[in-house]
Amino acid sequence: MATTKVALVVADAGPLIHLDELAALDVLSDYAAILVPEAVWQEVERHRPNALLHPAVNLVRQSIVSASPQVNAVATLYTLHSGEREALALCLQHDIALMLTDDTAARLAAKNLNITTHGTLGLLIRAVRKQTRSPAEVVALLAAIPQQSTLHIRPSLLEDVITQVKAEWMTGDE
Amino acid sequence: MTQTVQAEIPDQLFNQAQTLVHQGWAGSFQEIVNDALRRYLESHQEALTEAFIKDDVQWGLHGDD
Repeated sequence: MATTKVALVVADAGPLIHLDELAALDVLSDYAAILVPEAVWQEVERHRPNALLHPAVNLVRQSIVSASPQVNAVATLYTLHSGEREALALCLQHDIALMLTDDTAARLAAKNLNITTHGTLGLLIRAVRKQTRSPAEVVALLAAIPQQSTLHIRPSLLEDVITQVKAEWMTGDE
Repeated sequence: MTQTVQAEIPDQLFNQAQTLVHQGWAGSFQEIVNDALRRYLESHQEALTEAFIKDDVQWGLHGDD
């Protein structure tokens, strides 16, 4: 089935780093472009440089944008880092509705600005829906989060998530 | 009651905090650390984080994009 890449999204460092740690950056390959603000690019380059080199993922480095008073206000309120601040500014500047982040404060700030956010877990699970990964593969990736990634999640909540994914998509023989 | 902790802080952050104290914008380095910790905890409450993750899961399972 032919697919059309249309969506533009903005990424914070978390999902890029965590997905690379899980060797699952390809779940981002259906986005037409993922805009990466300069501060985020530098953060990923420092911690996980290979995450910026995946051949199937179109990461586009964006120079520093000046934040609007709106962004500055929420960034101060939620004590956001420069990368998170730039990511929000980029969303507003390009009228992009989705920001990828795993940071709770950044997600709260985005909500204040009517920007939708999703993180590593959502992106992994979405990969089944987009048919880029099988349910079994995604369950294995979710289970590997505590050992293979620096994404912190309460073990019982992760277990609930895995149970939910299995119930939704996996039959007894998978 | 208080706890004593030992933590490594990047020079740049430490110097910026010290400058604020010396200029009179903060009472002490201790006060800045406490305020920073309090603000972090306020914006990273477990219930909020959990709500966002559950939202992620629903989007992953049933989103329309």
